[in-house]
Amino acid sequence: MNFEVKTSRRVAIVAAGIVSPLGFGLTETLQSLRQARDCVTPVTAFSVEKTRCKTAAQIDDGRLLDKANRSRQDRRLHRASYMVMTALAELLERAREFEPEIAIVGTTSGGMSFGENFYRTLGNGGACSAALIANYPPQKQIVDAMERFGINAPAQVIANACASGTNAIGHAFNAIRAGRYQRILAGGYDALSELVFVGFDSLQAATPEKCRPFDSNRSGMVLGEGAALLALEEFESARSRGAKILGEIIGYGISTDNHHLTQPNPDGSGPRRAMEQALAQAELEPNQVGYINAHGTATILNDIAEGKAIMELFGDVPVSSTKSMMGHSLGAAGAIEAAVTLLALEHQFLPPNINFRDSDLPLNIVANQARDAQFDCAVSNSFGFGGTNATIVLRSSER
Amino acid sequence: MSWVTPLGSNVNDVWQRLVAGEAASIEILENEQNGARYLVRRVPATTMAHLPPHARLRRASAISRFAAAAGLAALAEAKTPPSLDRIALVFAISNGGVIYTRRFYAEIVKSGAQSASPLLFPETVFNAPASHLTAILEISGASYTVVGDGAVGILALKLADDLLASEDVDTCLVVAAEEIDSLVCEAYRQWRFLRDPKKPETPRGMIMSEGAGAVLLKRSEGEMEIDQIVPGANFFRRSEASARLGGVVSRLKNEIGFCVGSGNGTFIDRAERAAVGDEMPVYSPKIALGESVGASVFWQLITAAKALEAGTLPGSSKPPINSHAMVLACGLNQQTGGLTLRRRDCPAFPGSR
Repeated sequence: MNFEVKTSRRVAIVAAGIVSPLGFGLTETLQSLRQARDCVTPVTAFSVEKTRCKTAAQIDDGRLLDKANRSRQDRRLHRASYMVMTALAELLERAREFEPEIAIVGTTSGGMSFGENFYRTLGNGGACSAALIANYPPQKQIVDAMERFGINAPAQVIANACASGTNAIGHAFNAIRAGRYQRILAGGYDALSELVFVGFDSLQAATPEKCRPFDSNRSGMVLGEGAALLALEEFESARSRGAKILGEIIGYGISTDNHHLTQPNPDGSGPRRAMEQALAQAELEPNQVGYINAHGTATILNDIAEGKAIMELFGDVPVSSTKSMMGHSLGAAGAIEAAVTLLALEHQFLPPNINFRDSDLPLNIVANQARDAQFDCAVSNSFGFGGTNATIVLRSSER
Repeated sequence: MSWVTPLGSNVNDVWQRLVAGEAASIEILENEQNGARYLVRRVPATTMAHLPPHARLRRASAISRFAAAAGLAALAEAKTPPSLDRIALVFAISNGGVIYTRRFYAEIVKSGAQSASPLLFPETVFNAPASHLTAILEISGASYTVVGDGAVGILALKLADDLLASEDVDTCLVVAAEEIDSLVCEAYRQWRFLRDPKKPETPRGMIMSEGAGAVLLKRSEGEMEIDQIVPGANFFRRSEASARLGGVVSRLKNEIGFCVGSGNGTFIDRAERAAVGDEMPVYSPKIALGESVGASVFWQLITAAKALEAGTLPGSSKPPINSHAMVLACGLNQQTGGLTLRRRDCPAFPGSR
């Protein structure tokens, strides 16, 4: 294999697409962020009678499924496929000529609810639909969405728990930077499922209260769902063809924290290493960063570890967790938050951390309302089960 | 390189048994939910007896144990132990920790959500086996779990190849593992891919199996080199599979002596044969070891390496006289890919470097 290391290439974001509880598309997402919209509502997709937690941030199915041209084949697809299709449609609307060589995306559960239906149907003695089996696997959603738009590229699907989306974007960035590819479709997706909802409920990592990241009375996460995709292209290639450049990825860090399968090391060393690596690759000092989109799940343990690492490394750089508004969409979170961070850079504002009252951590939290700000670079963090930590650094296009 | 298979875990022993035409024994697995029966090839308990104890493996499922055994063995083979801060782990998986996933969801369905065990849930996450492995090996850098269908191994190897192009990584441990469970078997049965349990001797239909494979990739030159990795285009109908595989074959270099394929008794057999043509010797270790889905590419890769080393391809009367072998992978659900492997000191092609 050719291992010539070429790491000088810049990586441009030439288009993005998003669907999340904050809205369909970048424009709606921007409005929701500006308005500090709380998207958490009672769960409707399955029974929550016997769970502690009853709420999640959900995408309206009526609107989601209306978006697609519902052929007979489409009707068999998982709603996660519709999410990916929605995000991809927006991306391609903004960059019709974008032809990725590969898709590198993150997810944690693909079409999980189809697996649940399969199990339940089997237990009831019913006949299972082959469509449930065929559309359940985690690569199916991105592959089908690409096919819908005439793209047939290999799909490298990264399942690094809640860091999956950031890992996918970060790895795609490094692959272009190293000269391995010119154009990559990167992002993540996840749809709410009963198994995962009950899982976080059983761990008592989810909260029956409001989601309050970095608040001294935080009590856990609220789940969300969605998809976001970025069109990444080698910078000179994008510039030479006159593509509109929305921003750049300029740094990526990844570390593994072997403390515990589900708990971060409270000393924050894992997240800190990821952030340090990302800054080093970006050739930035911490004080050159104007905003941190934190992982900020609002669990006791995450916020202590991440907050400590941010405090030590960045001091009073403004921080918010947009999960307070849209919940934690797991494998999609890093991708959605990258798109949110891109919007923040493009429109020069700091997205809010809602439901915030006071903190036991001396962080500069963007409390409850969006703020205008001037900054060139921002950081987005994602950490996950298995001790995986990922950070990307984004830069605005105005350079 | 290392594997854990239903025929054992010693690379040379299993290889010799493949050459001798042996196949792993077949057992019957019964589904408690509907009484369906499946033919399966399991990893014998004795194969895992040598796995050293570790706190992370106390509650872990079979998949994590297989992965740990293969990963540790592959690392132990390294002439120079790799530096832990410059090694990455890439993990390939398809069905994942399905035993605990089924148990966890069964608790929800039978007893209600309030009864679901917080001990089981973390093991249902796709990257749980990789997490256990990084903890056991004390890897603190990059770790990626790649999911997909039976071709996922190619995509994981490609990711490892791309990682080795960065300045941060010198060595990549690439591991794949799967475990058998009745729920997965039932899904494949309903998809009509499984062999009829009443006709174990028929070549039609696949037999599910379990185990792991691991390879240690380095940027520096070794005796055996992965020459080229090609993740292929996706297929949406089975009739498209041969064309997609043909696309992969055409992108791999010429002068390939033989192919270690992913034939498993399904449509893949014909698709692969059509893609490589009638002349090229093709062997699939799945005939003897079963279909391990996510782990299968690694069994194919190790088989190809041993065939290059030994100059013998199981089941073929023609010796593989070329320095290059092809590993071809076709998943059951859309994905394809392939790679070429070459032996650097091949006497038949001394100038092949």
